[in-house]
Amino acid sequence: MADAPTPVMFAIVTTSKHAVIGGMAPVFMADDEPERDRIAMWLCRITNCIAHDLHNGTLVLTVNQASSS
Amino acid sequence: MSSSSAPIDWSPMVIGFAAGFISRLISIRTGRTHYPGYPSGYISQLALAIIAAMIGASVIVSLVGKEFTAATFLTLAATQFRDVRTTERQTLEQEEHFILVGRGAGYIEGIAITYEARNYLSMMIALVTSAVTQYTGVVIGGIVGIIAIIIGEIYMSGPKVGDMIEVEPAKIHFEKGSLLYVGDVMMMEVGLPHSRERYQKEGMGVLLTPKGRRGQSVLWNVAQRQAISHEAAAAVGTQKDVGYPEQTPLCRMDMPKGSGRAGLSILPVENNMEALIKAIKNTPVLESGKWSALTSPVLNRKEME
Repeated sequence: MADAPTPVMFAIVTTSKHAVIGGMAPVFMADDEPERDRIAMWLCRITNCIAHDLHNGTLVLTVNQASSS
Repeated sequence: MSSSSAPIDWSPMVIGFAAGFISRLISIRTGRTHYPGYPSGYISQLALAIIAAMIGASVIVSLVGKEFTAATFLTLAATQFRDVRTTERQTLEQEEHFILVGRGAGYIEGIAITYEARNYLSMMIALVTSAVTQYTGVVIGGIVGIIAIIIGEIYMSGPKVGDMIEVEPAKIHFEKGSLLYVGDVMMMEVGLPHSRERYQKEGMGVLLTPKGRRGQSVLWNVAQRQAISHEAAAAVGTQKDVGYPEQTPLCRMDMPKGSGRAGLSILPVENNMEALIKAIKNTPVLESGKWSALTSPVLNRKEME
């Protein structure tokens, strides 16, 4: 309880091709920021995950393993 | 009671029963635990109250009547009240999965213990009152009953968060584009512009500042903060549904700095700061958070005194 549940990276949404290389999560490329935010929001609502902004054009979507919500 | 023994004086039993029952009745308030809310809940609580007060009130009478078997059976019956806690805990735990802002295990345990203790308290008050009535008479017995009820009430109402922690409204804002701040306490990272707008437009923030060491140890308790956010959400509502994790009300410590203060962010349905602050102040201090003064190294710093 006292420790935060381990987040699992679910997806990566980015506008910058060079910011992300490979990895275990699918990478969604977007042309611009509104498009990126739109994709991120859809994915969030579908999968109950949380978006985190890395401020280099990349959004990381994570799912908390023991998410109770 | 066998008919061969001396005539029984019923007054200790009646007065003891009345005192115990009233003591339990006073505490059946829906209030903060949101239970009992329906007549069925009240009925089961009342039934238990009657049984508890009966047991407490009849022990002395049966002892005086030399009915030791009856007295033994009464103590046996008293142990059955252990189940009250388990039942209450199970009910609340099952509910936990289907409320948007959970109470947290610590709060549930606290509520369950209180319910159990309430029944024992009413039993004890009935016992004391009937004993006094037995040996001093109805009038003094009645007075002692009233005093016992008052003492019980004072003793049973534990400290509230408001006693140890200052609660004040604070502004919600974003720093570095996506970090949600309440006052100067960082809460979380909100990546979606849509949610950020929502927070900026409708979000409410509250800063919790401990008044002393006790207040700090209370705030560092995770269960306590979960209870606070539950109470906050229950008071002003929360714009959240399954699938919107970033809109959950949060209560977090001022962490990289570790100043011992906490912030609470919430997306309320009803923008009522007064109700929010009142609800937080009225949250009971959990047993688990009461004495753990040394869980955090921050507490040992001199400048925190």
